[in-house]
Amino acid sequence: MSAPSLTTAPAGPFTVRLRLPWRRLRPVLLPLLFIAGCLAAWQVVANLNPQSRAVLSAPSDVIGVLNKNLPLLLPHLAATARETVAGFALAAIVGMVLGAALAQWRRVQQALLPHLVLFQIVPKIALAPLFIIWFGVGPESRLLFALFLAFFAIASATTAGLSATRPDALRLCASLTASPWQTFFAVRLPFAIPSIFAGLKMGMTMALIGDIVGEFVSGQEGLGYVVMFAAAGADAALTFAALTLLCALGLTVYGVVVLAEMAAERWYGAPFVSEGFHNRKDK
Amino acid sequence: MTGSRREQLLSIGLPVATAVVLAALWQAAVSLTDIREIMLPAPTAMVAKLNANLPTLLEAALVTGREALAAFALAVVAGFIVAAASSSSQLLRETIYPAIIALQLIPKVALAPLFVVILGIEAEARITFAALLSFFPVLISTASGLSNTDPNAMRLCRSLRASAWQSFWSVRVPFALPHFFYGMRISSTMAVTGVVIAEFISAKQGLGFAILSASAVSKTATVFAAIAVLCALGLGLYGAVAALERLAARWYRG
Repeated sequence: MSAPSLTTAPAGPFTVRLRLPWRRLRPVLLPLLFIAGCLAAWQVVANLNPQSRAVLSAPSDVIGVLNKNLPLLLPHLAATARETVAGFALAAIVGMVLGAALAQWRRVQQALLPHLVLFQIVPKIALAPLFIIWFGVGPESRLLFALFLAFFAIASATTAGLSATRPDALRLCASLTASPWQTFFAVRLPFAIPSIFAGLKMGMTMALIGDIVGEFVSGQEGLGYVVMFAAAGADAALTFAALTLLCALGLTVYGVVVLAEMAAERWYGAPFVSEGFHNRKDK
Repeated sequence: MTGSRREQLLSIGLPVATAVVLAALWQAAVSLTDIREIMLPAPTAMVAKLNANLPTLLEAALVTGREALAAFALAVVAGFIVAAASSSSQLLRETIYPAIIALQLIPKVALAPLFVVILGIEAEARITFAALLSFFPVLISTASGLSNTDPNAMRLCRSLRASAWQSFWSVRVPFALPHFFYGMRISSTMAVTGVVIAEFISAKQGLGFAILSASAVSKTATVFAAIAVLCALGLGLYGAVAALERLAARWYRG
């Protein structure tokens, strides 16, 4: 059986775009202007207070440092990226498999889901020193800590998504005598895609946070270590240079998850509209 | 009837049983094998440490809790105000919203050392950092709540000639309350997390400092005891927000 059917996209926007370019461009131009304005103001303030450059270096200084020290910073960027992505990938696999298992067996879900939720609430970040005691100061401990932080969001979002299939779709499956396996892949999974990817997106940011905090605590390599090291030495330009790379890394890895989500939606013929967003359409 | 009662019992009993079994397995593993206490202390050892160090741990929890609460309060007030402002002006919304979303995605945790350099190693740096972390969830979910008011209710407001102020407080805010509290719940966890991260970097007191200093001298049981107190603190703050949410829901439904 095929995935649930969808409405076709309306052809309206094209005519609107031709008639009102400013209305279409506004949502893009305004934020860009805002960010450019912020950077310009920052540059002016830094130029007016040359003595404050130890704490707040100008964007031009940051770009200069970034240019000059790039060969030095790239290995740290690579270390952070490697640990974050590997930690996230493992967390995604383990989290989705466990989430699917919980959604499949109700008793297991009753036994374990409260613990998953509890772990999402408590400040897991405090366990960073423990991971160093257990796994040393090397990349493994940071990778595992990133995995640990990312896991809970992914697992609980997967369970929630797979358990929230529309009952009439499941009834249809039952009446068509679909096997549990068929039902899972053709109905439950496609319906859960938005929820699973919400969990994956959150997991990706958590993995990066976990890796950075691990680098703060273990202090061996990585951009988190550079930020801490440079800040301790009052080298604001280097601090901001490392922060800029971290932001770029954060946006890139998040963007990859968003692209994967779009690919998954296209594969399943989405966009799937979940129950809660139906109201939005009639506005 | 008996079936639903059985379900109710199971939904409480199963998680508790799981926790008990896991703790028992942990205890058995530690006492039967020769895992060193530095690596993994037994649950009983942790409880003993928790008892022995309770006064110092509670003192540290007070410091961390005060800072987390201050950061949380700042974040909620600021988040609500910015959300209200951005929901009332399309220009403002279109200008700052994408930047806010981008800020939400980048790892703000990495800014912690910067706050210490700029604001010093006192409580202000930790509070400001934690407030920054917990500000965004409140802002984003409140803003989405305020902009998703039921259009019929807004039409009713217009037909009753309600002022913008009136329709904001008596229609938009009640409609946005679930979103606001959802953001607040996430923020409460972020506030505690932020303070702990800042304490890792710069502090002479507080639970984050207790955890880091105990782990530096391999007093793992103390680390676990401090983490347990911290978890209790985090759950307490989260529980308080959840209780407030219930009260608010009851109040608004009349």
